Amino acid sequence: MPRTLWNGSLSFGLVNVPVSLTSAARDLDLHFRQLHGKDGAPIEQRRFCSKEDVEVEWEEVARGFDLDGKQVLLTDLELASVQPRKTRTIDIEAFVDMSEVDPIYFDHPWFLLPFGDSEGTLRAYRLLVEVMESTDEAALGRFVMRTKEYLALVRPRDGLLSLTTLLFHDEVRATDDIAPGGRRPAKKKVDQAVAVIEALATDWDPERYKDCYRERLTRVIKAKQKGETVKAPAEPKQPKPAPDLMEALEETLARMGSGSGSGNGAGKRKRKAAAR
Amino acid sequence: MPKSIWNGTISFGLAHVPIKLYSATESKTVHFHEVHVSDGARIEHKRICSKENKEVPYKEVVKGYEIKPDEYVVLEKDEIKAAAGARGKVIEIEDFVPEGQIDPIFLEKTYYVGCRDDAEAYRVFVAALERTKRVGIGRFTFHDREYLAAVRALDRVLTLHTMRFHDEVVPAGDLDVPKPGKRPSKREVDMAGQLVKSLHRKFDPTDYEDTYREAVLELIKRKAKGEDVAPTEPEPEEETPDLAAALQASLGKAS
Repeated sequence: MPRTLWNGSLSFGLVNVPVSLTSAARDLDLHFRQLHGKDGAPIEQRRFCSKEDVEVEWEEVARGFDLDGKQVLLTDLELASVQPRKTRTIDIEAFVDMSEVDPIYFDHPWFLLPFGDSEGTLRAYRLLVEVMESTDEAALGRFVMRTKEYLALVRPRDGLLSLTTLLFHDEVRATDDIAPGGRRPAKKKVDQAVAVIEALATDWDPERYKDCYRERLTRVIKAKQKGETVKAPAEPKQPKPAPDLMEALEETLARMGSGSGSGNGAGKRKRKAAAR
Repeated sequence: MPKSIWNGTISFGLAHVPIKLYSATESKTVHFHEVHVSDGARIEHKRICSKENKEVPYKEVVKGYEIKPDEYVVLEKDEIKAAAGARGKVIEIEDFVPEGQIDPIFLEKTYYVGCRDDAEAYRVFVAALERTKRVGIGRFTFHDREYLAAVRALDRVLTLHTMRFHDEVVPAGDLDVPKPGKRPSKREVDMAGQLVKSLHRKFDPTDYEDTYREAVLELIKRKAKGEDVAPTEPEPEEETPDLAAALQASLGKAS
């Protein structure tokens, strides 16, 4: 059973459901430890006072904030005083259409599980799952975890409730500076690009994609363990943009059509495309 | 214009779109620095060799992977590069999948994709993605690490989301959640449905401000003036004793 990171209650009108949060994502990255090259001993990060140059214990550390050049110190207890009163509650403020919430706002995914196994809790939890499964709406609420307030979106996922913390609107940058100006592209070119996209079209299946980096890194570690040397690959060149986009798109379609396909699974996709 | 963090090329089929990546998000959480209580001086973090008890300059630091407790395989930078793969600066789109099919649970971090040199190729790609309502799935190497990425069109701009791999998403089946003895009654489901309707709103992200961030900044100002700030300890709420009655009362309150 994964670790519970928070527990409190989910409140929906006057209904309160005791819940706990557990991460819906797990980190499978290979993690490294910093070592001292010379003697292979692990490196420790230690805190030093920049004035006295002596080591400082955690108990002697305060939080400082630079306010207009003046330093303000806060303790954890003082910081806790600004937490909203109902801080252990996820208050559902509204229900919104999922399609209106762009995933760009999504921060971290969690599962929201019933806390405890009393009949009342389990039934109220089930009620929320069933009601939300019958609509495309997600519940929007706020809660405080550790020392931060979160906006959160609650929706059903495989018979349970999931919760996604959301970024606040001012944490998402505007796209104004990114969009290239200029005229609309010629219809013929877009048609060709659409044809290439259709030829590479498939349904989303997350299991198609393996973490090759994790696999290769594991192999490198094993090789190294056996005392083999591992060489870095030569830096590949950046491809030049095709001088003529139209030609490149046409050539792609021609190769796919002839079945000599560039890339993987082109042949299989051709059949799929033909079946449509 | 924000600073780009990566220059590269998106390729699909034989077509290449020269691009730049920009961060799309920035955390606005109030950050504090560590201070030594007794003299108000900043705290510095130093790398100390646990054997010699001496500070270690950065160039003497190597990366170790722990294979057994206290036993490490040391990897050089080049060896980690070898694992990152030889993709160069190309985001190679392997598949195009329907927009609605990707559960956002797979999305990790978002970047904006701007054009580099050839704005036409960029505009053609955006227009084609918009028309097909599809998202490109590809891989690329960023900071010596390979990522799976989803590229989609959003308001005439390309966005790139780095993605979790399927085994990094916890399936609901891994969680052992007990079922209630008695399922909610039809009346309870109906009332809850009405409550959902009464709380329906159009989503506008600007309706929600980070009030906690504002409160922390306010606290800092009060503290700067020498005011005392008293801590409070909150309590979680109890479960609802009578579900139907609570729903009924909520509906009365909401209407």
